[in-house]
Amino acid sequence: MKILKLSILELLRRPKKNMVIASSIVIAVALLTSLSIVSNSANVAIMEIIAKTGHTLTVRPAATSAGTNAEDKGQEYKLTTSEVVLGSHIPETAVPEIMKYYDKAIKEGWEKKSGLVTNPGIPETSIEPATWAPRLFEKTEVNGQEMIVTGIDIHKEYFVRFWWNLSSGEWPADTEIRDVNTSVSTLYSIGSDGRVIVDKAEYGVDSSGKLIAAQEKKARAAPVKPIQKGWDDAYLGGAYAKARGLKLGDRLTINKTEFTIRGILEETNSADDYMVFILLSTAQRIFNKEGQISMVSVRAMCPNCPVGDAMVELNKHVTGITAVSQLDVAGVQFDFFSMLYKFLLAVVVSTIAVGIFSIFNIVTGSLYARIREIGMLKAIGASRYQLFRIFIYEHFILGLAAGIVGYVLGLGMAYFLNTLLDVGAVIRITTDFLWRGLALGIVCSLVAIIYPAYKLSKLKITETFRTQWES
Amino acid sequence: MSEFIETRGLRKVYHVGGQTVEALQGVDLEITKGDFIVFMGHSGSGKTTLVSAIGGLTRPTEGTVLIEGNDIWKLNDKELSHFRNRKIGFMFQSFSLLPTLNVLNNVVMPAIFSGNSGEKDSDALKSKAISLLSDLDMKKKVNSFPSELSGGEQRRVAIARALINDPEIILADEPTGELDIRTEREVIDIFSHINDVYKKTLIVVSHSLSWIEKARTIIVMKDGLMYKDLDDPVEAIMSGVCKQ
Ligand SMILES: Nc1ncnc2c1ncn2[C@@H]1O[C@H](COP(=O)(O)OP(=O)(O)OP(=O)(O)O)[C@@H](O)[C@H]1O
Ligand SMILES: [Mg+2]
Repeated sequence: MKILKLSILELLRRPKKNMVIASSIVIAVALLTSLSIVSNSANVAIMEIIAKTGHTLTVRPAATSAGTNAEDKGQEYKLTTSEVVLGSHIPETAVPEIMKYYDKAIKEGWEKKSGLVTNPGIPETSIEPATWAPRLFEKTEVNGQEMIVTGIDIHKEYFVRFWWNLSSGEWPADTEIRDVNTSVSTLYSIGSDGRVIVDKAEYGVDSSGKLIAAQEKKARAAPVKPIQKGWDDAYLGGAYAKARGLKLGDRLTINKTEFTIRGILEETNSADDYMVFILLSTAQRIFNKEGQISMVSVRAMCPNCPVGDAMVELNKHVTGITAVSQLDVAGVQFDFFSMLYKFLLAVVVSTIAVGIFSIFNIVTGSLYARIREIGMLKAIGASRYQLFRIFIYEHFILGLAAGIVGYVLGLGMAYFLNTLLDVGAVIRITTDFLWRGLALGIVCSLVAIIYPAYKLSKLKITETFRTQWES
Repeated sequence: MSEFIETRGLRKVYHVGGQTVEALQGVDLEITKGDFIVFMGHSGSGKTTLVSAIGGLTRPTEGTVLIEGNDIWKLNDKELSHFRNRKIGFMFQSFSLLPTLNVLNNVVMPAIFSGNSGEKDSDALKSKAISLLSDLDMKKKVNSFPSELSGGEQRRVAIARALINDPEIILADEPTGELDIRTEREVIDIFSHINDVYKKTLIVVSHSLSWIEKARTIIVMKDGLMYKDLDDPVEAIMSGVCKQ
């Protein structure tokens, strides 16, 4: 026989009352658990976006709206990391100017705060020029259905979107993805007639963007532009490929031109999941947007880069563009969820307050019913502390049991809430929430009992048996 | 040399709703070791209050209770609990058995609070409880629950519980209350046996005259004062006149 056993037996003696107490704790714990899980999962999703894109600045043509979103594409995605700009463009020639101001602002901003570098050990020289990746968006027909096609420079894009992974397929080999316009002299040889010679094979393209064999092209009088190998490669966002049932090697007709699917991206929970990617040079050609891009993503290459400063500088000095920090976009969502969390937390707190109050009432009632027993326990030698322990154990066990049940219920509610709120976050369960749930259960149970238990353990023994005469 | 139990100028004043009740009005009492005292007297005369003060249950307003020379009311809560646990076996009518525990566990209960209810001792403790219960002719009921016992059987369990820690003093307030005459006799015989065989000092409060022939000392209480060595205690109680 131990005090603990005594407590358990006492607990089992009043099953109905204890069930009532336990159920209010269960509700409070379940609410807190589900709320924590959902909001944490949403936050983690947002934090991931911030981690990925926090150093990225998006430069769009000025006076375009925040970009067309899911509705426009007839697709569904939840957390926007990229924006789609349709209808207005930046000339490619503006990029050097953008990069000049960007690098300058980053360098100055970095120097300004170098006194409080938050990453010690990383020398200032670690600032490298930022990398940038252009994109050209075009609404067009893909296999007969309206769709947004994005022209990218794969090498640059991959550097900015370093979290990209292929679930199937391959990226083009490095030599093959150098932009033909910039690296042509080193990687490709151009024949005297303007044809580009790669791997001893000769390709050309006519003015309509159609690939033609060298001989055939010679026969035509049309001016021939150098063409990049792999110009008809297409890469698909994971969700899009899944929705359309497209596989590696399948053919794709974009704007009447045939493409081959070379790779399918893993889903990233962003607009990328619903896009079709082709080479920028191809896109410019088949959409007749030579020398034009829809936006540039600029990724700073230093820790704690003052991207905000760069954004301000760019918007001040470069005309015709708007720079947006992805941090701001994610920040808005982050604020929304923290607001939602605070609101729901208030609901939980009031539930808990009401719960504790009702538990307090029940506990006080049942403890006073035990008053004579308490007198007896004191008489046979239970000290104040030992008596106190009996009550504490009882309610600790009760709170723990209710906490476990509440936690399990909360898990279920989290999945339900997640679909209900349409947060789109992947539910993440960590042991943190288990401890939090159990702690809440135990604390609720104990808070309600501490005062009555304290008063009772201080009760004079003779008072406990006088109640017998009076009642 | 001080007596085994000694009270000096013991007073207890209760304040109830603006009124004061003097439950004890200066009691000087000496109890020798091995005595078998029965307190008698009218209802409200202060018997329970006096016994509670001796047992460390009710703090006196004035005066001292010395047990083997130590003033028990100078002890702190922990020491006083230990004193109650080790020195005294209580048998108060209001201190009933715990309905959640079987007979054996009810008897063993005081040992939980002794602080040494380790696994090693628990077997020894249990066999001690069983031998006490068989002494009280309760061996068959070891695993019964209090609700399955008669009033007399419940008293026996309470007696066993009072004895489990081998206290030197047994304090019993109306241990035979609400019992029929035959069962009352049995309980009184048990007490007498405890006094004779176990050499415990017994302090009993009762209204029943059946105790008189077994008791070694009769004390009559009246209005918070005690009267010892009366020629005819029964007459004194009946007439309400106590002279010394
Ligand atoms: N806790 C208390 N609060 C107030 N008054 C009390 C308290 N305990 C006892 N009294 C009063 O003190 C007086 C003595 O009470 P006590 O219980 O000692 O009498 P008693 O001799 O045991 O009576 P009985 O034979 O009825 O048990 C009574 O007047 C009683 O009302
Ligand atoms: Mg009494």
